Amino acid sequence: MATDVSPLDGVPLLDVENLQIELITAHGVIRAVDGVSFTVGEGETVTLIGESGSGKSTTAMGVLRLLPEGLAVLSGSVRIAGRDVVADPRAARALRGRTVSLIPQDPMTALSPVHTIGRQLGDALRLRHPGLSRAETRERGTELLAQVHVPRPETRWKAYPHQFSGGMLQRVLIAVALAAEPRLLIADEPTSALDATVQAGVLDLLMELQEVEGIGMLMITHDLGVARVVSDRIHVMKEGRFVESGPAGTIVDRPAEPYTRALLAAVPRLGAWDEDGLTGAVAR
Amino acid sequence: MPKYLARRLGQSLLTVFLTLTTVFLLVRLAPGDPAAAYAGPTATTADLARIRGEFGLDQPLIQQYGIFLRDLLTGNLGTSYSFRAPALDVVLDRMPYTITLAVAAIAVTAVVAVPLGVWMARRADSKRELGANVLTITGQSMPDFWTGVMLLTVFAVLLPVLPASGFTSWSGLVLPTVTVAILQLALISRLVRREMTTALNSPYITVARSRGFSERALTWRYALGNSGVPLITAIGTRFAALLNGVVVVEVVFGWPGVGSLVVRALETRDYPLIQATVLVTATLAILVQLLVDLAYPLLDPRVRLGKAA
Ligand SMILES: Nc1ncnc2c1ncn2[C@@H]1O[C@H](COP(=O)(O)OP(=O)(O)OP(=O)(O)O)[C@@H](O)[C@H]1O
Ligand SMILES: [Mg+2]
Repeated sequence: MATDVSPLDGVPLLDVENLQIELITAHGVIRAVDGVSFTVGEGETVTLIGESGSGKSTTAMGVLRLLPEGLAVLSGSVRIAGRDVVADPRAARALRGRTVSLIPQDPMTALSPVHTIGRQLGDALRLRHPGLSRAETRERGTELLAQVHVPRPETRWKAYPHQFSGGMLQRVLIAVALAAEPRLLIADEPTSALDATVQAGVLDLLMELQEVEGIGMLMITHDLGVARVVSDRIHVMKEGRFVESGPAGTIVDRPAEPYTRALLAAVPRLGAWDEDGLTGAVAR
Repeated sequence: MPKYLARRLGQSLLTVFLTLTTVFLLVRLAPGDPAAAYAGPTATTADLARIRGEFGLDQPLIQQYGIFLRDLLTGNLGTSYSFRAPALDVVLDRMPYTITLAVAAIAVTAVVAVPLGVWMARRADSKRELGANVLTITGQSMPDFWTGVMLLTVFAVLLPVLPASGFTSWSGLVLPTVTVAILQLALISRLVRREMTTALNSPYITVARSRGFSERALTWRYALGNSGVPLITAIGTRFAALLNGVVVVEVVFGWPGVGSLVVRALETRDYPLIQATVLVTATLAILVQLLVDLAYPLLDPRVRLGKAA
C-alpha cells in the first residue's frame, strides 16, 4: 500500500488553479466558488477563512469531488499529488481515503447512526490496509482513538454515534480521517465542536502529525486565533473569491481589507483577548 | 423489556378477543342460515329446527356468546359443521400450507424487490427506473385472479412444466408463489427505492465516500443498513397479511391453505370454522408484528422498546 508515496519532485501536494464551482439549486444556479487558486505543500497548513456562506466548504468538497454529480459543475483544475481530479473524477476516487482524507464540518451527521464507531473506523483502516485481521484492526483503531483523546477507547469501540457528544464525535472523525494515513488532510472546522482545552490538544496533535509525517493540511476555520497559530498561509474568502491572501501573521496582524478586519473583530477569542470581540456579529 | 413484552402481549390478547367477538356477532347478524346450508335444499322445516338445536343456534345470542366464551377458555372452538371435526384442528391442518406459501412468497418478493429497489435508487429518475416502476405497478394493479390464470395458462397448459393445481409436489408451490410475489413487488421495491434515496443522500454517505469506499460498499453496507427498520416493517406487515390466507390465489391454484378454507366456511355458514380461522390468523399476524417490533433495536440502536422515539 506504499505505492502512492511517490516523490512529488517539487509538485505541490494540492494545486488548485482558477477553480469555479456552480451549484444548481432550487433557486437557480449559484456560483459558490468563483475562480480561486492556491497550493498546499507537504508539511504546510493553508487556511481558508471567511463569513458563513462564503464558499469554504464548497471549495473543500469540490477539491475532493464530493459535491453531488449533476448538481455541481466544476471548472479549472485541482491537482492532488499531480493528478487532476476536475478532469478525471476516477482519480479523485483513487486518492480519497489513501492520499487525501477529510475531517467533515458537522460531526453529528457524519457517521452512520446504525453502525458502531469501531465498525466505521475499522472499515476505514481496512480500506488502507486490506490485510488487517479483526484483532489488528481493533488494536490500531483503539490506538487511534486514544491518540485523539477519546477516553476508554476499548469500551467505546462497540458504541454507536448517538452515545457520543458532539465533541467526542469530532475526535472520532479525526481518528477516522487519520486512519487513511493521508498525505493531505482537509479539515473543515475540525475543532469547532470542541471546548478550548481539547481544541488545543487536537490542534497540537494535528501539528505534530504534520511535523512527523509531513502531512499537508487545508484547514477551514472561523477562529482567527487558531488560524494565526497553525497556518502558513491564509486566504480570506468572500462570496466565492479570495479577497486577501498572505502569510498568517500578515493577515491577522495587518489585514489590508476592511472585510478581513470585520472578520477579525467578529470572532470571539479565547484567553486574554479583549471582550469587545464577543459582541460583534459576522459581517455579511 | 419484560414489562414491555407483558404490555404488548396483554394488548395483543385484547385485540384478538375483540376481533373474535366482532366476528362472532357479524356472522350471526349476516343473512344466511347454517342449518339450511348444512341440510341442503330438500330439508324440511323440522329438519332445520333439529339441526339448529344440534348446533346450539336456537338459543338467544347472548347465551350462545356465553357458551362460546366458556369453551374458548378451555381451548375448544366448537365443531365445524361441514367437516364434523374440531374447528381448531381443521384450521391447524391447513396452516402449514398457508405458512409455506406466505414464507415462499415473501422470500421471493424480498429477494427480487430489495435489489430492484436499490437499483432504482441508484438510477433515480432515469428512463430505466421509470420502466421498472411501470412493470412492477402493472403487476400490482392486475387482479390476482387474472395474474394467476395467466400464469396457469402459460406454464401449466401451453408449456406444461408446472402442475396446475393443488399440492402434490414442491413444484406446485411455484405458480402461487410467483403470483403472490408479483402483487407485492411494486410496494416493497418502491419503499426500498425511497429509503435508499434518502440514505444515499445523507451526509454520512458523503463522508464515508471521502474515506474512499466503493459505491457498492456505500450502497449495500451503509445505505441499506440504514434502511433496515422501514424495510422490516413493510415486509413484516405484508407477511402478516399473507398469513391471513391469500384467498383468490389459493382458490385459483387449488392450494389447500386457510384462504380456500375461509371461502368454504363462509359458503356453508360454518360459524365455528370461521371463528377458529379468525383466531388462528389474527394470533399469527400479531405474533409476526411483535417479532418485527422486537427486531427494531437490533436494526437501529437508537430505538428503545417501550419508549417513544
Ligand atoms: N446543498 C446546497 N444547496 C444549495 N446551496 C448551497 C448548498 N451548499 C452550499 N450552498 C450555497 O453555497 C454557498 C457556499 O456555501 P458553503 O457551505 O461553501 O459556505 P461556508 O463558507 O462553508 O459556510 P459556513 O462557514 O457556514 O460553513 C452559500 O451561498 C450556500 O448557500
Ligand atoms: Mg462550511
